[in-house]
Amino acid sequence: MHYALLIYEDEAVYGDEPDSPALQAIIGQHMAFAGSLGAARVGGAGLAGTTSATTVRTTGGVKTVHDGPYAETKEQLGGFYLIEAPDLDSALAIARRVPLAANGAVEVRPLLEVPT
Amino acid sequence: MAKFRDLDIAEEAAAEAYARAARSWRDGTLPARPDAWLYRVAERVALDMLGRRRTAARLAPEPPPPVPSAEDLALDDDRLIPDERLRLIFVCCHPAVAVEARAALTLRLVCGLTTAEIASAFLLPEPTLAQRLVRAKRKIAQAGVPFEIPGPAAWPERLDAVLSTLEVAYAKAHEDAAGASPHAGYATEILGLTRVLAELLPAEAEVLSLAALVRYAEARRPARLDADGASVPLAEQDPALWRRDLITAAEGLLIRAAALAPSGPRALQAAIQAAWCARASLAQPAPWRRVLRLYDALLSLRDDPVVRLNRAVALAEVAGPEAAWAELALLDAAALARFIPYHAVRAELLRRLDRRTEAGDAYQAALDLAPPLAERRWLARQMAAL
Repeated sequence: MHYALLIYEDEAVYGDEPDSPALQAIIGQHMAFAGSLGAARVGGAGLAGTTSATTVRTTGGVKTVHDGPYAETKEQLGGFYLIEAPDLDSALAIARRVPLAANGAVEVRPLLEVPT
Repeated sequence: MAKFRDLDIAEEAAAEAYARAARSWRDGTLPARPDAWLYRVAERVALDMLGRRRTAARLAPEPPPPVPSAEDLALDDDRLIPDERLRLIFVCCHPAVAVEARAALTLRLVCGLTTAEIASAFLLPEPTLAQRLVRAKRKIAQAGVPFEIPGPAAWPERLDAVLSTLEVAYAKAHEDAAGASPHAGYATEILGLTRVLAELLPAEAEVLSLAALVRYAEARRPARLDADGASVPLAEQDPALWRRDLITAAEGLLIRAAALAPSGPRALQAAIQAAWCARASLAQPAPWRRVLRLYDALLSLRDDPVVRLNRAVALAEVAGPEAAWAELALLDAAALARFIPYHAVRAELLRRLDRRTEAGDAYQAALDLAPPLAERRWLARQMAAL
Protein backbone atom coordinates (compact mmCIF):
# COMPACT_ATOMS: atom_id res chain seq x y z
CA MET A 1 0.00 0.00 0.00
CA HIS A 2 1.00 3.62 -0.45
CA TYR A 3 0.88 6.03 2.46
CA ALA A 4 1.43 9.75 2.85
CA LEU A 5 3.30 10.80 6.00
CA LEU A 6 2.24 14.40 6.66
CA ILE A 7 4.58 16.27 8.96
CA TYR A 8 3.13 18.89 11.29
CA GLU A 9 5.41 21.09 13.35
CA ASP A 10 5.51 24.63 14.68
CA GLU A 11 7.44 26.27 11.86
CA ALA A 12 8.55 29.07 14.19
CA VAL A 13 11.23 26.74 15.61
CA TYR A 14 13.07 27.01 12.29
CA GLY A 15 13.11 30.82 12.23
CA ASP A 16 12.62 32.97 9.12
CA GLU A 17 16.02 32.63 7.49
CA PRO A 18 16.56 29.83 4.95
CA ASP A 19 20.06 29.22 6.31
CA SER A 20 19.03 29.13 9.98
CA PRO A 21 21.01 26.45 11.87
CA ALA A 22 17.78 24.75 12.99
CA LEU A 23 16.55 24.44 9.40
CA GLN A 24 19.89 23.25 8.10
CA ALA A 25 20.04 20.67 10.86
CA ILE A 26 16.60 19.23 10.15
CA ILE A 27 17.25 19.17 6.40
CA GLY A 28 20.36 17.14 7.09
CA GLN A 29 18.32 14.72 9.20
CA HIS A 30 15.67 14.40 6.51
CA MET A 31 18.26 13.65 3.85
CA ALA A 32 19.68 10.88 6.01
CA PHE A 33 16.19 9.58 6.82
CA ALA A 34 15.09 9.67 3.17
CA GLY A 35 18.21 7.75 2.22
CA SER A 36 17.52 5.13 4.89
CA LEU A 37 14.05 4.49 3.44
CA GLY A 38 15.48 3.03 0.23
CA ALA A 39 12.80 1.66 -2.08
CA ALA A 40 10.08 2.36 0.50
CA ARG A 41 10.33 6.06 -0.37
CA VAL A 42 8.13 6.90 -3.35
CA GLY A 43 8.30 10.68 -3.12
CA GLY A 44 8.00 13.67 -0.85
CA ALA A 45 9.12 17.21 -0.27
CA GLY A 46 9.58 19.87 2.33
CA LEU A 47 7.26 22.85 2.06
CA ALA A 48 8.19 26.53 2.32
CA GLY A 49 6.70 28.33 5.32
CA THR A 50 3.01 29.18 5.60
CA THR A 51 3.77 32.87 4.99
CA SER A 52 4.28 31.76 1.37
CA ALA A 53 0.94 29.91 1.24
CA THR A 54 -2.05 30.95 -0.82
CA THR A 55 -5.38 29.18 -0.57
CA VAL A 56 -8.10 28.87 -3.22
CA ARG A 57 -11.38 28.45 -1.44
CA THR A 58 -14.63 27.31 -3.03
CA THR A 59 -17.85 28.31 -1.33
CA GLY A 60 -21.15 27.60 -3.04
CA GLY A 61 -19.37 27.19 -6.35
CA VAL A 62 -17.61 30.56 -6.04
CA LYS A 63 -13.82 30.40 -5.97
CA THR A 64 -11.89 32.99 -4.00
CA VAL A 65 -8.18 33.33 -3.40
CA HIS A 66 -6.89 33.98 0.11
CA ASP A 67 -3.54 34.78 1.58
CA GLY A 68 -2.31 32.17 4.08
CA PRO A 69 -2.63 28.44 4.73
CA TYR A 70 -5.88 26.45 4.81
CA ALA A 71 -6.00 26.47 8.60
CA GLU A 72 -4.33 28.77 11.10
CA THR A 73 -3.10 26.36 13.73
CA LYS A 74 -0.36 26.00 16.26
CA GLU A 75 1.37 23.43 14.06
CA GLN A 76 1.56 23.57 10.30
CA LEU A 77 1.99 21.09 7.47
CA GLY A 78 5.69 21.43 6.76
CA GLY A 79 6.42 18.54 4.43
CA PHE A 80 5.44 15.06 3.42
CA TYR A 81 6.72 11.71 2.34
CA LEU A 82 5.03 9.25 0.03
CA ILE A 83 6.02 5.75 1.03
CA GLU A 84 5.22 2.19 0.10
CA ALA A 85 4.60 -0.17 3.01
CA PRO A 86 2.96 -3.60 3.30
CA ASP A 87 0.56 -2.49 6.05
CA LEU A 88 -0.25 0.21 8.59
CA ASP A 89 2.16 -1.12 11.25
CA SER A 90 5.08 -0.88 8.80
CA ALA A 91 3.98 2.64 7.84
CA LEU A 92 3.68 3.62 11.52
CA ALA A 93 7.16 2.23 12.19
CA ILE A 94 8.52 4.56 9.47
CA ALA A 95 6.41 7.47 10.74
CA ARG A 96 7.97 7.10 14.18
CA ARG A 97 11.39 7.67 12.62
CA VAL A 98 10.49 10.90 10.77
CA PRO A 99 12.80 13.63 12.11
CA LEU A 100 11.11 16.42 14.11
CA ALA A 101 12.84 19.43 15.64
CA ALA A 102 10.89 19.21 18.90
CA ASN A 103 7.14 18.73 19.27
CA GLY A 104 5.00 17.81 16.32
CA ALA A 105 2.97 15.10 14.69
CA VAL A 106 3.13 12.85 11.68
CA GLU A 107 -0.24 11.97 10.19
CA VAL A 108 -0.31 8.66 8.33
CA ARG A 109 -2.84 8.48 5.51
CA PRO A 110 -3.27 5.67 3.01
CA LEU A 111 -3.45 6.92 -0.58
CA LEU A 112 -6.65 6.18 -2.47
CA GLU A 113 -6.05 3.25 -4.76
CA VAL A 114 -7.38 4.48 -8.09
CA PRO A 115 -8.10 1.63 -10.52
CA THR A 116 -6.10 2.04 -13.71
CA MET B 1 -10.97 -15.98 11.02
CA ALA B 2 -8.08 -13.58 10.83
CA LYS B 3 -6.63 -15.76 8.15
CA PHE B 4 -9.27 -14.69 5.66
CA ARG B 5 -8.30 -11.02 6.09
CA ASP B 6 -11.89 -9.94 5.54
CA LEU B 7 -13.81 -8.55 8.49
CA ASP B 8 -17.24 -8.93 6.93
CA ILE B 9 -16.65 -12.60 6.29
CA ALA B 10 -15.25 -12.99 9.80
CA GLU B 11 -18.29 -11.26 11.24
CA GLU B 12 -20.84 -13.34 9.33
CA ALA B 13 -18.94 -16.56 9.97
CA ALA B 14 -18.73 -15.93 13.71
CA ALA B 15 -22.42 -15.03 13.89
CA GLU B 16 -23.39 -18.15 11.92
CA ALA B 17 -21.21 -20.39 14.10
CA TYR B 18 -22.86 -19.06 17.27
CA ALA B 19 -26.32 -19.43 15.73
CA ARG B 20 -25.56 -23.07 14.87
CA ALA B 21 -24.20 -23.58 18.37
CA ALA B 22 -27.41 -22.18 19.82
CA ARG B 23 -29.44 -24.64 17.74
CA SER B 24 -27.38 -27.75 18.25
CA TRP B 25 -26.46 -27.17 21.93
CA ARG B 26 -30.03 -26.45 22.93
CA ASP B 27 -30.49 -29.95 24.35
CA GLY B 28 -27.70 -29.18 26.83
CA THR B 29 -25.01 -31.44 25.36
CA LEU B 30 -21.90 -29.37 24.79
CA PRO B 31 -19.16 -30.71 22.54
CA ALA B 32 -16.00 -31.69 24.40
CA ARG B 33 -14.28 -28.51 23.21
CA PRO B 34 -16.85 -25.83 22.44
CA ASP B 35 -14.22 -23.32 21.36
CA ALA B 36 -12.74 -25.71 18.81
CA TRP B 37 -16.21 -26.58 17.59
CA LEU B 38 -17.08 -22.92 17.08
CA TYR B 39 -13.80 -22.20 15.37
CA ARG B 40 -14.23 -25.13 13.01
CA VAL B 41 -17.81 -24.21 12.10
CA ALA B 42 -16.89 -20.54 11.58
CA GLU B 43 -13.93 -21.51 9.42
CA ARG B 44 -16.11 -23.70 7.23
CA VAL B 45 -18.77 -21.03 6.92
CA ALA B 46 -16.07 -18.54 5.89
CA LEU B 47 -14.56 -20.92 3.34
CA ASP B 48 -18.02 -21.63 2.05
CA MET B 49 -18.76 -17.93 1.69
CA LEU B 50 -15.49 -17.30 -0.12
CA GLY B 51 -16.16 -20.24 -2.40
CA ARG B 52 -19.63 -18.99 -3.15
CA ARG B 53 -18.32 -15.55 -3.98
CA ARG B 54 -15.90 -17.03 -6.50
CA THR B 55 -18.27 -19.45 -8.12
CA ALA B 56 -21.56 -17.62 -7.82
CA ALA B 57 -21.63 -16.91 -11.52
CA ARG B 58 -21.25 -20.45 -12.76
CA LEU B 59 -22.23 -22.94 -10.07
CA ALA B 60 -25.30 -23.74 -8.01
CA PRO B 61 -24.85 -23.06 -4.25
CA GLU B 62 -23.14 -25.87 -2.36
CA PRO B 63 -24.89 -27.77 0.45
CA PRO B 64 -24.23 -26.31 3.93
CA PRO B 65 -20.87 -27.35 5.42
CA PRO B 66 -21.04 -30.39 7.71
CA VAL B 67 -20.72 -30.11 11.47
CA PRO B 68 -17.13 -31.02 12.43
CA SER B 69 -16.60 -34.55 13.70
CA ALA B 70 -14.57 -35.61 16.74
CA GLU B 71 -11.80 -36.64 14.34
CA ASP B 72 -11.67 -33.14 12.87
CA LEU B 73 -11.25 -31.66 16.31
CA ALA B 74 -8.57 -34.17 17.25
CA LEU B 75 -6.60 -33.03 14.19
CA ASP B 76 -6.65 -29.42 15.34
CA ASP B 77 -3.41 -27.99 16.59
CA ASP B 78 -4.07 -27.08 20.21
CA ARG B 79 -2.40 -23.71 20.00
CA LEU B 80 -3.95 -22.65 16.72
CA ILE B 81 -7.35 -21.83 18.12
CA PRO B 82 -6.47 -19.38 20.89
CA ASP B 83 -3.82 -17.79 18.67
CA GLU B 84 -6.32 -17.19 15.87
CA ARG B 85 -8.73 -15.57 18.29
CA LEU B 86 -6.00 -13.51 19.94
CA ARG B 87 -4.80 -12.38 16.55
CA LEU B 88 -8.27 -11.13 15.69
CA ILE B 89 -8.56 -9.51 19.13
CA PHE B 90 -5.30 -7.66 18.56
CA VAL B 91 -6.50 -6.44 15.13
CA CYS B 92 -9.68 -5.10 16.72
CA CYS B 93 -7.67 -3.47 19.52
CA HIS B 94 -5.13 -1.80 17.21
CA PRO B 95 -4.38 1.77 18.35
CA ALA B 96 -5.50 2.97 14.90
CA VAL B 97 -9.03 1.84 15.81
CA ALA B 98 -11.04 4.38 17.84
CA VAL B 99 -10.70 3.59 21.56
CA GLU B 100 -14.44 3.41 22.12
CA ALA B 101 -14.90 0.96 19.25
CA ARG B 102 -12.19 -1.59 20.10
CA ALA B 103 -13.94 -3.70 22.68
CA ALA B 104 -17.23 -3.55 20.81
CA LEU B 105 -15.63 -4.69 17.59
CA THR B 106 -13.90 -7.60 19.31
CA LEU B 107 -17.12 -8.73 20.93
CA ARG B 108 -18.86 -8.62 17.57
CA LEU B 109 -16.15 -10.36 15.53
CA VAL B 110 -14.51 -12.71 18.01
CA CYS B 111 -17.38 -13.56 20.33
CA GLY B 112 -20.31 -13.09 17.94
CA LEU B 113 -22.39 -10.89 20.27
CA THR B 114 -25.16 -8.98 18.50
CA THR B 115 -25.00 -5.18 18.30
CA ALA B 116 -28.01 -5.06 20.65
CA GLU B 117 -26.16 -7.14 23.27
CA ILE B 118 -22.98 -5.10 22.99
CA ALA B 119 -24.95 -1.85 23.17
CA SER B 120 -26.61 -3.01 26.38
CA ALA B 121 -23.26 -4.12 27.86
CA PHE B 122 -21.83 -0.65 27.21
CA LEU B 123 -25.02 1.17 28.27
CA LEU B 124 -25.26 2.78 24.81
CA PRO B 125 -28.10 3.25 22.31
CA GLU B 126 -27.89 0.56 19.63
CA PRO B 127 -27.65 2.92 16.60
CA THR B 128 -24.64 4.68 18.19
CA LEU B 129 -22.91 1.38 18.74
CA ALA B 130 -23.75 0.11 15.25
CA GLN B 131 -22.28 3.25 13.72
CA ARG B 132 -19.06 2.86 15.71
CA LEU B 133 -18.69 -0.69 14.42
CA VAL B 134 -19.18 0.40 10.81
CA ARG B 135 -16.60 3.19 11.17
CA ALA B 136 -14.09 0.91 12.87
CA LYS B 137 -14.37 -1.79 10.21
CA ARG B 138 -13.97 0.81 7.48
CA LYS B 139 -10.88 2.24 9.19
CA ILE B 140 -9.26 -1.19 9.51
CA ALA B 141 -9.87 -1.97 5.84
CA GLN B 142 -8.83 1.44 4.47
CA ALA B 143 -5.79 2.09 6.63
CA GLY B 144 -4.37 -1.38 6.03
CA VAL B 145 -4.27 -2.54 9.66
CA PRO B 146 -2.28 -5.80 9.55
CA PHE B 147 -3.86 -9.11 10.66
CA GLU B 148 -0.91 -10.07 12.83
CA ILE B 149 -0.20 -10.50 16.52
CA PRO B 150 2.10 -7.52 17.07
CA GLY B 151 5.62 -7.81 18.41
CA PRO B 152 6.07 -7.50 22.21
CA ALA B 153 7.03 -3.81 21.89
CA ALA B 154 3.48 -2.98 20.78
CA TRP B 155 1.72 -4.97 23.47
CA PRO B 156 1.47 -2.45 26.29
CA GLU B 157 -0.42 0.13 24.20
CA ARG B 158 -2.93 -2.48 23.06
CA LEU B 159 -3.22 -4.50 26.20
CA ASP B 160 -5.73 -2.40 28.10
CA ALA B 161 -8.22 -2.60 25.24
CA VAL B 162 -7.70 -6.35 25.00
CA LEU B 163 -8.29 -6.78 28.74
CA SER B 164 -11.39 -4.53 28.75
CA THR B 165 -12.76 -6.57 25.89
CA LEU B 166 -12.30 -9.85 27.68
CA GLU B 167 -13.82 -8.31 30.83
CA VAL B 168 -16.99 -7.26 29.02
CA ALA B 169 -17.21 -10.59 27.22
CA TYR B 170 -16.89 -12.44 30.51
CA ALA B 171 -19.51 -10.23 32.16
CA LYS B 172 -21.86 -11.31 29.37
CA ALA B 173 -21.07 -14.98 29.96
CA HIS B 174 -21.37 -14.61 33.73
CA GLU B 175 -24.75 -12.88 33.57
CA ASP B 176 -26.49 -16.19 32.82
CA ALA B 177 -26.16 -18.40 35.90
CA ALA B 178 -27.64 -21.43 34.17
CA GLY B 179 -25.22 -21.22 31.24
CA ALA B 180 -28.17 -21.90 28.95
CA SER B 181 -27.87 -18.92 26.60
CA PRO B 182 -26.24 -19.13 23.17
CA HIS B 183 -23.27 -17.32 24.72
CA ALA B 184 -22.61 -19.90 27.42
CA GLY B 185 -19.51 -21.00 25.50
CA TYR B 186 -17.83 -17.65 26.25
CA ALA B 187 -17.01 -18.60 29.80
CA THR B 188 -14.89 -21.53 28.63
CA GLU B 189 -13.43 -19.44 25.82
CA ILE B 190 -12.46 -16.64 28.14
CA LEU B 191 -10.83 -19.05 30.58
CA GLY B 192 -8.80 -20.26 27.61
CA LEU B 193 -8.01 -16.81 26.20
CA THR B 194 -6.91 -15.43 29.57
CA ARG B 195 -4.72 -18.51 30.10
CA VAL B 196 -3.02 -17.95 26.74
CA LEU B 197 -2.55 -14.24 27.49
CA ALA B 198 -1.10 -15.02 30.92
CA GLU B 199 1.35 -17.45 29.28
CA LEU B 200 2.34 -14.90 26.64
CA LEU B 201 2.66 -12.01 29.11
CA PRO B 202 3.69 -13.54 32.45
CA ALA B 203 5.02 -10.20 33.76
CA GLU B 204 1.85 -8.13 33.22
CA ALA B 205 0.02 -7.86 36.55
CA GLU B 206 -3.32 -6.88 35.03
CA VAL B 207 -3.22 -9.85 32.66
CA LEU B 208 -2.66 -12.24 35.56
CA SER B 209 -5.31 -10.43 37.60
CA LEU B 210 -7.93 -10.77 34.89
CA ALA B 211 -7.10 -14.47 34.51
CA ALA B 212 -7.58 -14.79 38.29
CA LEU B 213 -10.80 -12.77 38.24
CA VAL B 214 -12.55 -14.97 35.68
CA ARG B 215 -11.37 -18.13 37.47
CA TYR B 216 -12.76 -16.98 40.83
CA ALA B 217 -16.04 -15.99 39.22
CA GLU B 218 -16.32 -19.18 37.19
CA ALA B 219 -15.49 -21.28 40.27
CA ARG B 220 -18.83 -20.29 41.77
CA ARG B 221 -20.92 -21.41 38.80
CA PRO B 222 -21.98 -24.79 40.33
CA ALA B 223 -23.51 -22.90 43.29
CA ARG B 224 -25.35 -20.28 41.28
CA LEU B 225 -28.56 -22.22 40.61
CA ASP B 226 -30.99 -23.57 43.22
CA ALA B 227 -33.18 -26.67 42.88
CA ASP B 228 -35.85 -24.63 41.09
CA GLY B 229 -33.40 -23.28 38.51
CA ALA B 230 -33.44 -19.79 40.03
CA SER B 231 -30.19 -17.90 40.53
CA VAL B 232 -28.72 -17.82 44.04
CA PRO B 233 -27.33 -14.49 45.34
CA LEU B 234 -23.60 -14.58 46.11
CA ALA B 235 -24.00 -14.30 49.89
CA GLU B 236 -26.37 -17.30 49.93
CA GLN B 237 -24.26 -19.62 47.78
CA ASP B 238 -22.91 -22.75 49.45
CA PRO B 239 -19.09 -22.52 49.33
CA ALA B 240 -18.89 -26.32 49.41
CA LEU B 241 -20.15 -26.32 45.81
CA TRP B 242 -17.48 -23.92 44.52
CA ARG B 243 -14.79 -25.38 42.28
CA ARG B 244 -11.59 -25.68 44.33
CA ASP B 245 -9.41 -26.29 41.24
CA LEU B 246 -10.31 -22.91 39.76
CA ILE B 247 -10.00 -21.12 43.11
CA THR B 248 -6.51 -22.56 43.61
CA ALA B 249 -5.49 -21.53 40.09
CA ALA B 250 -6.87 -18.03 40.69
CA GLU B 251 -5.00 -17.67 43.98
CA GLY B 252 -1.72 -18.59 42.28
CA LEU B 253 -2.29 -15.98 39.56
CA LEU B 254 -3.30 -13.25 41.99
CA ILE B 255 -0.26 -13.85 44.21
CA ARG B 256 2.02 -13.59 41.15
CA ALA B 257 0.23 -10.37 40.08
CA ALA B 258 0.62 -8.82 43.55
CA ALA B 259 4.37 -9.48 43.44
CA LEU B 260 4.67 -7.62 40.12
CA ALA B 261 2.90 -4.30 40.65
CA PRO B 262 0.60 -2.29 42.95
CA SER B 263 -3.03 -3.32 42.57
CA GLY B 264 -4.66 -2.09 39.37
CA PRO B 265 -8.42 -2.17 38.78
CA ARG B 266 -8.45 -5.80 37.70
CA ALA B 267 -6.35 -6.89 40.68
CA LEU B 268 -8.88 -5.17 42.98
CA GLN B 269 -11.79 -6.85 41.25
CA ALA B 270 -10.03 -10.18 41.58
CA ALA B 271 -9.41 -9.39 45.25
CA ILE B 272 -13.14 -8.84 45.73
CA GLN B 273 -13.81 -12.25 44.21
CA ALA B 274 -11.04 -13.70 46.38
CA ALA B 275 -12.69 -12.28 49.51
CA TRP B 276 -15.83 -14.22 48.65
CA CYS B 277 -14.00 -17.38 47.68
CA ALA B 278 -12.18 -17.37 51.04
CA ARG B 279 -15.51 -18.10 52.72
CA ALA B 280 -15.42 -21.72 53.88
CA SER B 281 -19.10 -22.21 54.68
CA LEU B 282 -22.40 -20.38 55.03
CA ALA B 283 -21.85 -20.44 58.82
CA GLN B 284 -19.06 -17.86 58.42
CA PRO B 285 -20.17 -14.23 58.13
CA ALA B 286 -20.19 -12.83 54.59
CA PRO B 287 -17.12 -10.64 53.91
CA TRP B 288 -19.11 -7.44 53.25
CA ARG B 289 -16.77 -5.08 55.14
CA ARG B 290 -13.72 -6.23 53.23
CA VAL B 291 -15.68 -6.13 49.97
CA LEU B 292 -16.79 -2.56 50.69
CA ARG B 293 -13.20 -1.45 51.40
CA LEU B 294 -12.07 -3.02 48.12
CA TYR B 295 -14.86 -1.26 46.22
CA ASP B 296 -13.76 2.04 47.81
CA ALA B 297 -10.26 1.41 46.48
CA LEU B 298 -11.60 0.37 43.07
CA LEU B 299 -13.71 3.51 42.87
CA SER B 300 -10.60 5.66 43.22
CA LEU B 301 -9.10 3.93 40.14
CA ARG B 302 -12.21 3.40 38.09
CA ASP B 303 -15.18 5.62 38.79
CA ASP B 304 -18.01 4.24 36.70
CA PRO B 305 -21.72 3.63 37.38
CA VAL B 306 -21.33 -0.16 37.52
CA VAL B 307 -18.63 0.04 40.22
CA ARG B 308 -20.80 2.50 42.16
CA LEU B 309 -23.79 0.18 41.88
CA ASN B 310 -21.79 -2.80 43.19
CA ARG B 311 -20.36 -0.70 45.97
CA ALA B 312 -23.89 0.33 46.99
CA VAL B 313 -24.81 -3.36 47.39
CA ALA B 314 -21.95 -3.83 49.87
CA LEU B 315 -22.77 -0.54 51.58
CA ALA B 316 -26.35 -1.72 52.17
CA GLU B 317 -24.99 -4.69 54.14
CA VAL B 318 -22.49 -2.66 56.15
CA ALA B 319 -24.33 0.63 56.73
CA GLY B 320 -27.95 -0.23 55.97
CA PRO B 321 -30.30 0.24 53.01
CA GLU B 322 -30.82 3.99 53.62
CA ALA B 323 -27.13 4.77 53.04
CA ALA B 324 -27.09 2.60 49.92
CA TRP B 325 -30.26 4.23 48.61
CA ALA B 326 -28.67 7.67 48.99
CA GLU B 327 -25.69 6.48 46.89
CA LEU B 328 -27.99 5.06 44.25
CA ALA B 329 -29.77 8.38 43.95
CA LEU B 330 -26.50 9.92 42.71
CA LEU B 331 -26.29 7.59 39.71
CA ASP B 332 -27.37 8.60 36.20
CA ALA B 333 -30.72 6.77 36.03
CA ALA B 334 -31.14 7.38 32.30
CA ALA B 335 -27.77 5.83 31.45
CA LEU B 336 -28.59 2.76 33.56
CA ALA B 337 -32.20 2.43 32.39
CA ARG B 338 -31.47 -0.71 30.35
CA PHE B 339 -29.06 -2.28 32.86
CA ILE B 340 -30.86 -5.16 34.59
CA PRO B 341 -28.75 -5.19 37.80
CA TYR B 342 -29.57 -1.52 38.37
CA HIS B 343 -33.29 -2.29 38.61
CA ALA B 344 -32.67 -5.46 40.63
CA VAL B 345 -30.55 -3.55 43.19
CA ARG B 346 -33.14 -0.75 43.39
CA ALA B 347 -35.87 -3.34 43.92
CA GLU B 348 -33.98 -5.06 46.75
CA LEU B 349 -33.23 -1.77 48.51
CA LEU B 350 -36.83 -0.57 48.17
CA ARG B 351 -38.06 -3.91 49.55
CA ARG B 352 -35.79 -3.55 52.57
CA LEU B 353 -36.93 0.05 53.04
CA ASP B 354 -40.48 -1.35 53.08
CA ARG B 355 -41.49 0.72 50.02
CA ARG B 356 -43.32 -2.23 48.52
CA THR B 357 -45.18 -0.65 45.61
CA GLU B 358 -42.00 0.98 44.29
CA ALA B 359 -40.10 -2.27 44.88
CA GLY B 360 -42.68 -4.12 42.79
CA ASP B 361 -42.29 -1.59 39.98
CA ALA B 362 -38.50 -1.97 40.08
CA TYR B 363 -38.68 -5.80 39.95
CA GLN B 364 -41.05 -5.44 37.00
CA ALA B 365 -38.63 -3.01 35.28
CA ALA B 366 -35.87 -5.63 35.64
CA LEU B 367 -38.15 -8.38 34.30
CA ASP B 368 -39.20 -6.21 31.36
CA LEU B 369 -35.58 -6.17 30.18
CA ALA B 370 -35.76 -9.94 29.54
CA PRO B 371 -33.05 -11.23 31.91
CA PRO B 372 -31.73 -14.80 31.55
CA LEU B 373 -34.16 -17.47 32.80
CA ALA B 374 -32.47 -18.12 36.18
CA GLU B 375 -32.39 -14.41 36.97
CA ARG B 376 -36.01 -14.09 35.85
CA ARG B 377 -37.09 -16.86 38.23
CA TRP B 378 -35.29 -15.23 41.14
CA LEU B 379 -36.75 -11.78 40.38
CA ALA B 380 -40.27 -13.20 40.01
CA ARG B 381 -39.94 -15.00 43.33
CA GLN B 382 -38.72 -11.87 45.14
CA MET B 383 -41.56 -9.91 43.59
CA ALA B 384 -44.17 -12.48 44.60
CA ALA B 385 -42.86 -12.43 48.19
CA LEU B 386 -43.50 -8.69 48.60
